[in-house]
Amino acid sequence: MNYLARISPFIQFGFLAKVGFLAMDFFFVLFLIVAVRQVYAMNSIISGSGNPYIVKLVIFVLLIVAVSLFLTALVIL
Amino acid sequence: MPDIFIAEPKETAAAPNEPTPLINAEETLPPQNPVRLFSALKKDPDGIDFQDKEDDEKIILFIRRSFITNVRWLFFGSLLLILPLFLPFILKFFPNPLLFLPSKFYFFLSAFYYLLVVAYWYVNFISWYFNISLVTDKRVIAIEFSNLVYKDVAATKINLVQDVSFEQIGAIRTFFDYGDVLVQTAGTLDNFTFESAPQPENIVHITEDLIGKHNELFG
Repeated sequence: MNYLARISPFIQFGFLAKVGFLAMDFFFVLFLIVAVRQVYAMNSIISGSGNPYIVKLVIFVLLIVAVSLFLTALVIL
Repeated sequence: MPDIFIAEPKETAAAPNEPTPLINAEETLPPQNPVRLFSALKKDPDGIDFQDKEDDEKIILFIRRSFITNVRWLFFGSLLLILPLFLPFILKFFPNPLLFLPSKFYFFLSAFYYLLVVAYWYVNFISWYFNISLVTDKRVIAIEFSNLVYKDVAATKINLVQDVSFEQIGAIRTFFDYGDVLVQTAGTLDNFTFESAPQPENIVHITEDLIGKHNELFG
């Protein structure tokens, strides 16, 4: 009991850090979704100016990694 | 005996010596002069389509900023990428600001940090990639896009263009042959600037030729 009381602030701080990290990652995912929308919007304005598949692939990979990180942090942290 | 059912004569297939009609042959062919991922200047490019493009409109010039202008963010991004390698050395002189965090956070924070660096690269790249100027046989079009939040498409008819000039100031711009091309339009219409365009002299010559031809044809 004494031991738990001693480490409880640390557990609480760990929880706050987890929430902080998840919030940060969540906003990053939102930012990436905005980026995806903008890439699609720009591709509808002008197409054929390079390689749209690579441009879209990179942003989708980023998005998948960010979502995976969010879900993993949700479980592990 | 009366016929109950008489089959309709089948439509005969095309005669063997008759050529089979092609399904829009132009569309099936790959573009001969496509714009590549890192192309900054292309004359008579193929395969480009933009909003409100007229059917008989031909793109003469495709212009992006010179690729050398990307060196700054490429360098800064690379610096950010290798910065964590020097972290143990830096932390010898400064107190560790993350010491209060549980150790399992370090992996997640590192992964998040690298995601941010890649996102920084990506946003800068698409800001360059989608910042496009087009000179067609009918119009001058400037598509501006920066930092995901600013988007602007402006166009003017080629017969309203009065003068085209360029500015190439500085040793770096002269060495790498890029500069600003200024397209002045008539009256109160906005002028266009193709910022940091590669081979500005060529762009000016081609655009001037185009204005001259247009004036010859239409007075």
